[in-house]
Amino acid sequence: MERPIFQPVGTPVEELDTPALVLDLDVMDKNIQTFQGYFAATTSKARPVVTSHLCPQIAHRQLDAGGTVGGIAVTTLGEAEVFANSGFDDILLANQVVTVSKIRRLCALAAQASIGIAVDNLDNAQQLSSGAVAAGVELQVLVEIDAGMGRCGISPGVEALKLTQRVDGLPGLKLVGIMGSVPGPKGGDDPSEHESQTKANLQVILDSKEAMEQGGLSIEVVSVGGAHCYAQAIQMAGVTEVRAGRYPLMDHRLKSFLPELNPAAKILASVISHPIDGMAVLDAGHKATAPDQGRPVLEGIDGAEATRFSAEHGIVELEGDAQSKLNPGDKAWLVPYELGASVNQYDYFRAAKNGKLEGFWPISARGRLA
Amino acid sequence: MNEHYRPPPGTLIEDLDTPCLIIDMDDLDNNIDVIASTYAGTTAKLRGHAKNHKTPAIAHRQIRRGGTVGGVCAAKVSEAEVMIHGGIASVFITSEIVEPMKIDRLCSLADQAELLVACEQAANARDISKAATARGVEIGVIIELETGLRRCGVREIDQGVALAKEIASLPGLRFRGVMSHQTIPDMPDREDRAVEANRAIKGVIDLKDAIEGQGIPMDIVSTGETWSYDVAAEIPGVTEIQGGSYLMMETHYSYMTEFHYAGKILTTIISTPRPGIAIGDAGVRAVSSLSGMPTVFDRPGVTVETMDSDHSVFKTEAGASLKIGDQVLLIPAQQDAMVSRWDRFIGLRKGKVEVVWDIQARGCHN
Repeated sequence: MERPIFQPVGTPVEELDTPALVLDLDVMDKNIQTFQGYFAATTSKARPVVTSHLCPQIAHRQLDAGGTVGGIAVTTLGEAEVFANSGFDDILLANQVVTVSKIRRLCALAAQASIGIAVDNLDNAQQLSSGAVAAGVELQVLVEIDAGMGRCGISPGVEALKLTQRVDGLPGLKLVGIMGSVPGPKGGDDPSEHESQTKANLQVILDSKEAMEQGGLSIEVVSVGGAHCYAQAIQMAGVTEVRAGRYPLMDHRLKSFLPELNPAAKILASVISHPIDGMAVLDAGHKATAPDQGRPVLEGIDGAEATRFSAEHGIVELEGDAQSKLNPGDKAWLVPYELGASVNQYDYFRAAKNGKLEGFWPISARGRLA
Repeated sequence: MNEHYRPPPGTLIEDLDTPCLIIDMDDLDNNIDVIASTYAGTTAKLRGHAKNHKTPAIAHRQIRRGGTVGGVCAAKVSEAEVMIHGGIASVFITSEIVEPMKIDRLCSLADQAELLVACEQAANARDISKAATARGVEIGVIIELETGLRRCGVREIDQGVALAKEIASLPGLRFRGVMSHQTIPDMPDREDRAVEANRAIKGVIDLKDAIEGQGIPMDIVSTGETWSYDVAAEIPGVTEIQGGSYLMMETHYSYMTEFHYAGKILTTIISTPRPGIAIGDAGVRAVSSLSGMPTVFDRPGVTVETMDSDHSVFKTEAGASLKIGDQVLLIPAQQDAMVSRWDRFIGLRKGKVEVVWDIQARGCHN
């Protein structure tokens, strides 16, 4: 467990024990209203992916704000269990569950909440079917189509149609529709190119839906992800839900693609050393930031850049006027590049309003990777 | 909290829910025994780094088997706290502790165990002195010398001597010695490593000599790491080696074949979307990619193609096919960033669960 010093409500955030993952509630609420507002008048609705924050309290706020399908999406079975325990009754596990032990856990959960599950393989569907029948529950099944991720998902077209026809009618399973994820932007991607690629990827999912309906199947749900594709997805008839995770807290990776949203979760670090001109060392290293997919960005000081993260230390290079800044005891703010990875390193958000601590919000599903 | 998955002893590896962090106990014991025998007759002993395992039970296991100073290193105050609460008698925090809140917390630990801390600046030494004096405790201070990592530490011998004089004069502090830490590219040959270790560690020995030349005594010269664990112990003057990675091992040190891969991520194939490709249920959230991508363990013809947050994409050559439900083991390029993502180790011997250890200092960034 994280072992921070639990300072009193009202503590100015810059006085928090560091490293600290600080959540600005006003920025988050505004992001939620803005993003979910896009779905106010559309047929398709948002399904918040809670893997990005792992925090039931935030997910409840998302569902309360409107524009959603009334349910959430998760990536792991462990996350589904935590959120079911926190009162969520419509959970889409947008991933494959294949082992006997996990299928048993999944079916136990389906007795408490409506559970959606992704399927891309017939044997797996048959195992899920047997598990559900044995447990006396029904699983909501979405056939997953590979829409450009090169990951899970059956190839679109004939193969997807054949699988869906076989899944339809298996006892204990209810075929509700299809799902697919489209690749998000990587650093340096051109937004307009990415947009046309996204449309093409989404069209693959919609074409599959059409082929299935022509084949006599009923496809109620077409679920696409993630947040980065919302603008294209809501314009495409047939999409019923957009799985989106990053928008409440945002991160650097998505910033240029969703410029109207602002980072709400940042890591507060302290300078522990300024050993030579032009360099400062932070107490937040790789373990406290998880820069696996990209380095966090140091905010607010011109000429200061976080350039290296070893296990325990973050190294900041300082140029020009910044050379005299960031001395031992000073604070620095880091905006995560990949939000979900950074959040998974903490047990608590330090929730704050107007620069003061409001409370410690548990990141209850942290580490529930299994 | 976090009582989500604790397989009972005797559970077979095939029945574990994945992804999970496992330790092969035979390999762990081998690695601990290599250390115990290496340092059986040397003056220098290991002070194992707790940041690599974050688990008091493992620290005690190392200490009991021998070859250690009877204490551990820690990277953070909260990590030191976990080790001390777990019964470790001596903890050396190898990072500078500068914030007032953390200095107080450091001092509050000093009447429960021997506490040592790294230092590079006089102002910081004075802050610790004040807090220690106010609480009536004594903190052992060790000067850090920078020797190639380009981060903390004094840069010059004179700087270190001046700091030692200041520390020796301050109440509440006891000047204990000097430390340095360094890393090298792959260097399989022992002779090459010995030359490199002598070069890297010469600085801290020079600093020791200069400080002692001023009539200031010290009892600790702490340096070295896994790559130099054997050769550093042969350098006169070195009293402690700060090793950590050898325990679980990582591909970064693949040439050190006396150590076995003990810590691994067990992952399950959840999808086989096209020929030659299989998808595993562990992504970078499970493994970390510090120092590089993880490697598939002991499965010829299977390689990691890419990883995203929660999935790995494996490429399989002809004849090495993977099917849904198969288990694959991953070994990390750098193991402590991986360990710090997990709440527990599942210890297996001969494929069966022997013990489940809580990684009590997981998340101790503070």
